[in-house]
Amino acid sequence: MTAETHAKQGPVERDEVRTLVCDHLADILEIEPSDISEGDSFADDLDADSLALIELVEIIEEEMRERFDDFRIEDEALQDLRTVRDAIDYVMSQLN
Amino acid sequence: MKPVAVDAMGGDYGPEQVVAGGLKAVREFGIPVMVAGPPDELQKIEGIHDVEIIEAHQVIPMDAEPGISVRRMRDSSISRAAEAVRNGRASAMVSPGNTGAVMGTAILRLGRIPGIPRPAVATRVPTYGGLPTTMLDCGANAECKPEWLVHFARMGVIYARDRFNIECPRVGLLSIGEEEGKGNPFVKEAYELLNDQRWTHDVHAEWVGNVEGNNIMSTDVDVVVTDGFTGNITLKVLEGTFRELIRRFAKAIDDAKTGKATDSAVDGVVDGLTQELHPDNVGGALLLGVKGVCVISHGSSSSEAIMNAIVFAHEMATAGMIGHLSGIGRTSK
Repeated sequence: MTAETHAKQGPVERDEVRTLVCDHLADILEIEPSDISEGDSFADDLDADSLALIELVEIIEEEMRERFDDFRIEDEALQDLRTVRDAIDYVMSQLN
Repeated sequence: MKPVAVDAMGGDYGPEQVVAGGLKAVREFGIPVMVAGPPDELQKIEGIHDVEIIEAHQVIPMDAEPGISVRRMRDSSISRAAEAVRNGRASAMVSPGNTGAVMGTAILRLGRIPGIPRPAVATRVPTYGGLPTTMLDCGANAECKPEWLVHFARMGVIYARDRFNIECPRVGLLSIGEEEGKGNPFVKEAYELLNDQRWTHDVHAEWVGNVEGNNIMSTDVDVVVTDGFTGNITLKVLEGTFRELIRRFAKAIDDAKTGKATDSAVDGVVDGLTQELHPDNVGGALLLGVKGVCVISHGSSSSEAIMNAIVFAHEMATAGMIGHLSGIGRTSK
């Protein structure tokens, strides 16, 4: 699956977003990216608190804005991001 | 010398008290100071021209939820003070604001030190006849994982060395008995991890096992580690006790005064005790584990407390503490 928006470069594959999310999450939580699954709950499986989630959101925004000027993760959406899959899907939806 | 950036808007007594503390640091210690807040409000304060103003137009309230408020209020006085450190304009930051928001700002704007999973708040507790004890975590993490206490111990060792020149700090785990096996499941698990003393290999420390609350003010231990919930309650009990003790002692002396020459000597004793025990003289707590010196002061800080926090922040920046913590972060990975 690919996504397009006001891109400075080409479209983004879902796998690329998945890697981006998992790598940064692993850095924040001091765990290995391979320990993270798409179905993992931030709170229940990964022990990520709200601050860790905001760290993740800010890093993803910063990186994606280098390629898509108007990329933003809305604050109102944060409460709906419960799993790693939710985060990946949300980023993909914002790119469309 | 780089200035210390101070969040002027976080204190309970308004920016006047915070700026007054900044001015004392400038005039009594020669430490340059920047204050973050709305320029039109700060410019009304007497003496403000002796400090630099960092423009900030938002204030994070004491009851705000830390993470989301830091994200939404990028123009807050806490955020602007942190940015000054991140951008290299300031050597350290001090804030008497919402502790959670200060921690959130430090994590989001300064960044975590890689290899250290969670920052912790470290403070010093006075002892009789020895160097102060370092206690952490005093409130950054109300819930902790046992393995985090190993990182707290390592950071506490660096703090004790940089702040008090203790070559080989003795480290204890706060529990309800000194014997192995005492404590709740969390403490027992943390004990097992700390008792495997591989964590001391690159920090030069001595593990002394469990310690009790009454050891914190003794010279039996240099660093006490605990979870942030227990640490914060312990710290507040100690501070409340110190304040009340000083108040009652001073009153008893006052009541007993006879007007004889010895009264001045007694006054000297009270002043000495106040100097050593009063929370205002501690200079705030240091948030360890982020990429910048960040001192958290009480919301109720007096100008004296703010001045002491600035001096402390300046000393920790000068000691190169962040570099030392980054070193143990690398070997922790």
